[in-house]
Formats: sequence, structure tokens, C-alpha cells
Amino acid sequence: MTAVIELSGLAKRYGAITALAGLDATIDGEIIGLLGPNGAGKSTLLKCLLGLVPFDGEARVLGLSAARDGAAIRDRVGYMPEQEAVLLDLTAVELCAYAGELSGLPRNEAMQRAHAALYYAGLDEKRYQPIAGYSTGMKQRVKLAQALVHDPELLFLDEPTSGLDPRSRDEMLELVAELPDRRGCAIVLSTHLLPDVERVCDRAVIMHKGALRFTGTIDELRGARGRDSELAVEVKADAHKLADALVGAGAACRVQSDTALAVDLPADATARLVFAIARDVAVQVRGLEVRRDSVEAAFLRVIGDEGAHP
Amino acid sequence: MSAIHDLGYKRYVGTRRPTSTRWRVIVRRQMATAWHGWFRMKAAVGLAIVTTCVFGGMMYFLTNGIMFRGFRRVGDLPLTIADGALPASLDWYRRAAFLLGLTVIAGAVAGDRQSGAFTFYFARSIRPRDYVAGKLGGALAMTASILVLGPLVLALLRLGLCDDTDALVAHLAIVPEALAIGALATLVYAIVPLGISALFASRRYAVAVWAAYWLIATTAAGRIGIATGSSWIAALDLARAIEAVTHRLFDLQLAHHLAIPLPAALGSIALHVALALAIVGYQVARAQRTGVGGSA
Repeated sequence: MTAVIELSGLAKRYGAITALAGLDATIDGEIIGLLGPNGAGKSTLLKCLLGLVPFDGEARVLGLSAARDGAAIRDRVGYMPEQEAVLLDLTAVELCAYAGELSGLPRNEAMQRAHAALYYAGLDEKRYQPIAGYSTGMKQRVKLAQALVHDPELLFLDEPTSGLDPRSRDEMLELVAELPDRRGCAIVLSTHLLPDVERVCDRAVIMHKGALRFTGTIDELRGARGRDSELAVEVKADAHKLADALVGAGAACRVQSDTALAVDLPADATARLVFAIARDVAVQVRGLEVRRDSVEAAFLRVIGDEGAHP
Repeated sequence: MSAIHDLGYKRYVGTRRPTSTRWRVIVRRQMATAWHGWFRMKAAVGLAIVTTCVFGGMMYFLTNGIMFRGFRRVGDLPLTIADGALPASLDWYRRAAFLLGLTVIAGAVAGDRQSGAFTFYFARSIRPRDYVAGKLGGALAMTASILVLGPLVLALLRLGLCDDTDALVAHLAIVPEALAIGALATLVYAIVPLGISALFASRRYAVAVWAAYWLIATTAAGRIGIATGSSWIAALDLARAIEAVTHRLFDLQLAHHLAIPLPAALGSIALHVALALAIVGYQVARAQRTGVGGSA
């Protein structure tokens, strides 16, 4: 099966500035979070993937070469920009129908799909009003609808919840989360809001200084080092006793209370070690779970101390 | 949470319009948008219709009257209203076209830059040349509806006023003449404001500069040319340049007019049009490279 995005030595320079430094990755998934500080190269990567700027190396989107088949890619991809990018003189339905026609749909088909996309995005009767009079939330919905109208297989969403109040943000995320099932499209979600990624994305791509720092599932990102070595252990009592025994076996432990401790297992060890030692020292284990970072903490860890804001 | 609405979605499996024909969608949309409201295209078309009615009425009711405002045939021969109304009307059609430039064309590209619409276009399979062709096609079609259609109606009316077949044949040239001068003026009034429009990311500035360029800069060049006796400088006044071609086509002279040679007039028009096209092409191509996904 074709991966959504395949990169092989993708590099882009603007004069002396290296915007993308030879990216290699195969990116797949339903909703992929694209994260990185300002200047990380996200926008440049997007332009390369849409076939808008020349680059070195190879980039394939939906199996098509971005260098050679840019127009074909853009027919199969929807893009919801962060900034205002609509024609304010038009009504929402006119704009979406126009967007559909520009993407090659016949006029009647474009009009029908414009209504369906706006209905999906939650703009009912307001779709007949000029966009110039819309609130920020309504404009975001129009931007989503115009990205959907031509039936894309892949959607690039750039900060879709930017400027929205909490309720509108919830509704927008709900729409985004439902898209893969309802429309059968994959999504690349570029956002500064890490809780949004945590809520809707199943995979993440983290960029920093033009390089890919992480590609993988959200669980892998939060699970830190690719193995479940950091555990939160709950015991009936005598957490200190268990901690001492685990330290003796090479683990690092931090006792949080008489019934809870955090354990960092030695290399090659698994959670079975905790059960075995607990049995040896006669401590009853009541719970054990792999400690996960929040996406925010994981993001900061991946990019290091620099560029704390994605 | 709001419920998600979906209208029995099915993936589109039909054929798509070829990329090479999508500029026509832009033409259609531009014209449809221009037709909204009374103060865009309708105002200019209204002025053109009034012009046609007034000059058509003069041709019909004052057929053999002698032309006013010093309109004479070359050789200082008098000109009947039936023959002189069409070239005289061009001045008013050009005013209507200038108005169209103000209300629609000068804001066309600037408005898209202002609203971020380049991202809207170029995130799709629209190429810069499709966008330019679409905007250009729309501007040319709208301007031609004033500068070609109006004079053509008057030219046909003139033919209708002929008493016999010989007169009709003698006057047949008026049709291609009207089409030629209309087409030439269309190039100027459609493309020059579009070029100015591409220079600015604000519709208001673009409109103001188009007005200032036409009313002040080119007029000043015309007056300097007359004062210094330099017909080549005077030809930079595009209105005078078009007028010079009109006079040549219709075999006219204006008593007070500095004669601008045809090469100077056509050269000035060609220079303006080429420069405007280059500006539009360059600005749009630049916008495509920087306009999607930020400015990196």
C-alpha cells in the first residue's frame, strides 16, 4: 500500500539558508501531527510536498512525485491555510463551488459538493451570506469546507483551531477527527496547540532546524525512548522496601509515597523484573503502568532546550 | 457538541476538467463578481449604454448635420454627424472603460493579494499562467463589452443609415475600423490597470494609483509633449495615443491637436501593455512561490 508521504534526501536551500536538510522518512497514518518551532521548515516542507518550489532529493505524496506531478498532487490534496485565504466578496457557497471548479469538478458537481461540504462544516443558512461578515470561527469552517470540496485524499490543515473559542475549538477538532472515517482522507495537522495533537492525532512528525527529529505514533512519542522502561508502580505498602530491592537489581527508583514509586528499569529489563522482586521481598503490587509524557513534554524533550514553542 | 452533518457522502469518481482549461473558471468568476452590485461593472456598462443611445440617436436624427468640436476630415473637409458620431463616441466609451478600471480591474489582483487569495488559488492545480490568463481574460472580456461592443453597434447603425447598396459598400470599412480601435483600446484599458493592480497588496492603493496614473501622469506627459513639440513624449498619454490611431483609422483631423505619428502611438501602447503584462506575470509567479504555507 502507498504511504501518504515518502521523503528521500529531501533538501531545500534558500541561498545560504538550509530550510530542509536532507529529510528521509515514510509517513503514514490517518491524522498526522506536524510539529516544530517557528522556522523549523514546516512551511517549506509543505511547499515541496505540494510541488510549488523546486528541491533536491525525492518527495512523493500519495505515490506521486512532488517534483514532476505537482498539479496532480494538488488535485488530490486539500489545503486549509492558517491565514485568511478566501475571497471576501463571495458567499461561502460561491467560494466553495469556485474552489471545486478550480480543482477540476464540473460546475453542477462542484455546486452540490459545495453545499455538502458546508453542511458538514456546520454552516447552514449562513452559507448564503458574504464571507466578509463572518466571525473567525465561521471563516475557519469555510476554510475547512473549501479544502474538502474537491474530495481530497489528503488534507493539510494549518492551525485549524487558531483563534477559536473553546467551544468552537472542540467542534472543529470533532470535525477533523471524524474526517478519516467519513471522507476517507488522511490528514496532516500542523498546529502550535499540542493538546490538539494529543486529542486527535495518531502519529506525529517533529521538525527542528530543517531536520526531522521524530516520526512515529503518538504513543511512541509519549513513551519516550521506544521501550516501556519507565514505570509507575502502585503497591499496598512498603514502597521503600521494594525500591531498595529494585535499586539493588540495577533500576533507578523514586519513591513518591508509601504506596507509589517511579521506576526506571535497567537496559534489557522488563516489567517482569518488578513482579519478581516484589514477590521476593513480599510486597504486594496493586498497579503498574508505563509512564507516559504529555505530548508537550515529549515535544520539548525531542527538540531539546531550543525552540520551546512549536 | 454539535452533531456532525453529512449528506450521504460518496467519493467523486468522474473525470476532472483538464488543468489547461481552468483559467476559464477564473474568467467566469471574475465577471460574475464584477456584475454584483451597481457600482462595479454595471455602472460602466450603464455609461456605455447611455453613450450608445446618445450617439446612436444623434446619428439617426441628425444624420446630415455637421460635426461639432472641430472634427474634420483630413484636408479640412467637413464631417457629417452620421460619419463622425462613432469616432466622437469613443471618448465616452473610454471614460466608461476607465470607470471599469477603477471599480473592477485595478482591484482585481491587488484584492487577491490583500485577502490572501493567492494561497486559495495556488494550493490547487492552478499555475501562475492560468491565474494570469483568467484575470486577463476576464478584464479583456469586460472591457471589450464596452469598447468593442458599443462602437460595433454604432458602426452597424451607420450601415443601416445608408440609402443604397453603393453607400453601404462604401461604408463597410467602418465595421473593421470600429473593431480594430475597440480592440486596441481594450488592450490598454484592460491590461494597464491590471498591471498596476499587481504592484500593490491593497485594493485601495491600486485603484488610487490607476486613477492618478491615468488622470495625472499620462496627462502631464501629454501636455509636456505638446509644450515641447515632442510627439513621442505626447504619445505617453495613452488617451492621446489611442486618439491618434482613431484619427488615422477614420481619416480625421483635429484642428488643435498635436499630430502624434502612428509609430509613436502604437509604440507607446505596446510599451505600456508589455510592461503591464510583465509586472502581472512576475508578481503572480513570485506570489506562488511565497504565498502558500507562509513566507519561508
